[in-house]
Amino acid sequence: MGRYLLQRLGFALLLVFVVSSAALLLTRAAPGDTLDPQERARINHELGLDRPLLAQYLSWLGGAARLDFGESVLYSRPVKALLGERALNTAILATAALILATAIGIPLGIYSGSRSTGIGPSIVRALSVLGLSVPPLIGSLALVFLAARTGWFPVGGMTSAAGLEMSWSRYLLDLARHIPVPALALAIPLAASLERLQSQAIAAASRETFVAASRARGLERMQSLLRHAWPVSLRPVLGLYGVMIGSLFSGSFIVEVVTSWPGLGRLMFDALKARDIFLVAGCAATGAVFLAIGTLIADMLLAWTDPRVRAGERA
Amino acid sequence: MNRQSRALLSVLLIGVITFVGWRSCSAPPDDSNGEIRISTVPTRGGVVRSSLRSEPRTFNRLLDANFPVDLFSLVTGSKLVRVNRATRQLEPGLAEKWSASPDNLTYTLTLRDGVTWSDGTPFTSADVVFTFQAVYDPKVNSILASALKVNGQPLKVSAPDPRTVVVTLPATFGPGIAILDNLHLVPKHKLEAAFKNGTFAQALAVTTPPAELALLGPFVLRSYEPGQRIVFDRNPRYWKKDAAGIQLPYADQLVLEVVPDQNAELLRLQAGQIDMMQQQIRPEDVATLRPLVDQGKARVIELGVGTDPDLLFFNLRTPYWQKDPRRDWILRKEFRKAISHAVDREAYANTVFLGSGVPIWGPITPGNKDWFSPNIQRYAHSIDRAKEILAGLGLTNRDQDEWLEDANNAEARFTLLTYRGNSSLERGAAVLRDALRPAGIAVDVVALEQGALVQRMVKGDFEAIFFFFSATNLDPSMNLDFWLSSGSAHIWNIGQTKPATEWEKEIDDLMMQVTSQPDPAERRRLFEQVQKIFAENLPALYFVAPRLHMGVTERLGGLEPAILRPQLLWNVDRITVRQDGAQ
Repeated sequence: MGRYLLQRLGFALLLVFVVSSAALLLTRAAPGDTLDPQERARINHELGLDRPLLAQYLSWLGGAARLDFGESVLYSRPVKALLGERALNTAILATAALILATAIGIPLGIYSGSRSTGIGPSIVRALSVLGLSVPPLIGSLALVFLAARTGWFPVGGMTSAAGLEMSWSRYLLDLARHIPVPALALAIPLAASLERLQSQAIAAASRETFVAASRARGLERMQSLLRHAWPVSLRPVLGLYGVMIGSLFSGSFIVEVVTSWPGLGRLMFDALKARDIFLVAGCAATGAVFLAIGTLIADMLLAWTDPRVRAGERA
Repeated sequence: MNRQSRALLSVLLIGVITFVGWRSCSAPPDDSNGEIRISTVPTRGGVVRSSLRSEPRTFNRLLDANFPVDLFSLVTGSKLVRVNRATRQLEPGLAEKWSASPDNLTYTLTLRDGVTWSDGTPFTSADVVFTFQAVYDPKVNSILASALKVNGQPLKVSAPDPRTVVVTLPATFGPGIAILDNLHLVPKHKLEAAFKNGTFAQALAVTTPPAELALLGPFVLRSYEPGQRIVFDRNPRYWKKDAAGIQLPYADQLVLEVVPDQNAELLRLQAGQIDMMQQQIRPEDVATLRPLVDQGKARVIELGVGTDPDLLFFNLRTPYWQKDPRRDWILRKEFRKAISHAVDREAYANTVFLGSGVPIWGPITPGNKDWFSPNIQRYAHSIDRAKEILAGLGLTNRDQDEWLEDANNAEARFTLLTYRGNSSLERGAAVLRDALRPAGIAVDVVALEQGALVQRMVKGDFEAIFFFFSATNLDPSMNLDFWLSSGSAHIWNIGQTKPATEWEKEIDDLMMQVTSQPDPAERRRLFEQVQKIFAENLPALYFVAPRLHMGVTERLGGLEPAILRPQLLWNVDRITVRQDGAQ
């Protein structure tokens, strides 16, 4: 297991290096600028962006190794500080969305996969297809519209105006009131994906002979499904978790922009618009770190849930 | 393993049930998200809530002219004198009075007595002199420097005593002392050290603790939550009072919610979570707000005709076209006139602005009442007339296809760049393409990201662009960069060392007279000449100016809508919040 973890860590570091370097170099090479030439010249000089590209890249790489990603042109602040603030906000939203997607997608997948006919599974399948088909922009706007119309939830933002001055308990309650709209916007397509995958996986697993054998030993249908078919069916589902964690924790700019959530996705979007190369590279590096961690967690969960993976690792 | 899986599933299900249960039992939203209260009596107090599309990079207005920084400076700062955006009249600010020398070159301003910065330090003429020093210092590289010069020369400023400032202009200047409307004051006692040790550019960063900011405006910063909002409190030391002697501002607090998406911004307005949007609403959104208006919860305020209409301009740099087969006709003013005739401005207004626009033929729209001239050349919609002019340029249909060709078989075709994501520009470009088709002119529309478009424009790497030009002031003398052939915003041929054409030289000369002439009537007469020359030569084509609307909740009173941004918050100290209970 130790060697396996080391391999995964090595892969993670390589991923972070390649993604952040590519982001930096591509943003540097991209045409366009929103600043006027005079202001751009001043900022370039201040931040050392008027040096040769290789010198800039090596200097940035040296800084990045010490977790110093340079200074943001857009915010006139160290990138590291911005990433810290926004990554925490995105992590809060991503955790809520992940829990919601799991809580909705997995049980519904087990339900629809364990029954081949009936109105219930058909409705679940139809809803999943709908959830998968609606683009995130439309989904977020629909939820924000619903929140605006009903007044059940705040339309956007992460906290109320007095958020900074609230006690911790009130702050958390305030946060909990703001989180459902963006979390649902992120969770619905993911829940639909999980439902579809879980449904197909459990349907396949329930046809296995060991499941039939468990029924023959006298287990009830649902017990047999949950004890024997479900753990086996988790393998493809957990594979998806790696990507889900990575994409959720690196921030969804569409959902964050529409719901005014101050997270990494929005930061990256603003940085790209402003050609803020250090900030783009910093956001990309953070996203890559989350993707690597997500993949690692998914691999570990897979090894934990599937004895065949553990056996394969030992061999 | 099986038990673990069941336990996991159970925990997840309990989580869902707990969440749903909590949600159904939780308290209703607080009043900031609930229904809008309306009372008939405006009172002091309350919170004004607006949206902000993007965030400030700094709190130092001397270094950044972007809207969030300008707005920050406006709500937390005061000026010596200001141009009232509603009446367009010059009015006293921190300078309670002033006098001019007979030659209109020297102005002596008397500062108000007893004014202090928000930290209690007295405001004196030394602050004014220091601000000018910082603005003109090349090391500071202030964004305000060019706006505070006359004919490229700085003003001379002295302070004979703490309440007197003497400003000497290097040459007579039509707008006179109104030039000081461009001055945003900074506190000497806070920034002198940074100025002396060369760190002025880093001063007033957005991370500066609010208590460290010394301000002169109606509001002081309470908190800035990046990505979320900026909260301002009433400045108890603000100098201004209303006619009844009540100290301004009326509102206790101002909250600027950061909402980057325009659709989400509108939904927040509909939900009553903000009182106004950052800027005017899109024509298609006026109908969306109608139900709220009918319920008496909101108003749609017509600001008037916009003063920054979209414009089409060709690249008029001759070298760019030197090797192009179209050079014989594409640079000719007759070609541009044919385009102007070919576009049906009524149809344009109906398609792009849903009927909420007025036809225009030049850069100064009826919204700029002081400077608009109705007496310039107009180009009536006529495809036949357009074809006739094009035929005069040698452009006829030689191969029986849809498009005209010249004698060398070069098609009457050009590429029109526009700004991706701006609905009025994208729709307008499509309308222009369709309008020119019957005249035999082919237009290839290419939408670019704003940064890329601006870069192409500055480099002169384009055939034609459909874009907008935001004037910061309605007085043309304050927008010389656009009018003068040497100007950096003379977008069809930027920064000429000497005027490339006779008519540009004529405009240069006239604009210098407009700028140096103190008599307002004479200035208007001279500027009408400029508009006539512009309309005759059409370096840029204008089609329709939209009517601008602002959506605002009924909670707010004391609003004085203006055309220039920020259309409502420019007089934030007089905005009242109506309440029938505790806010």
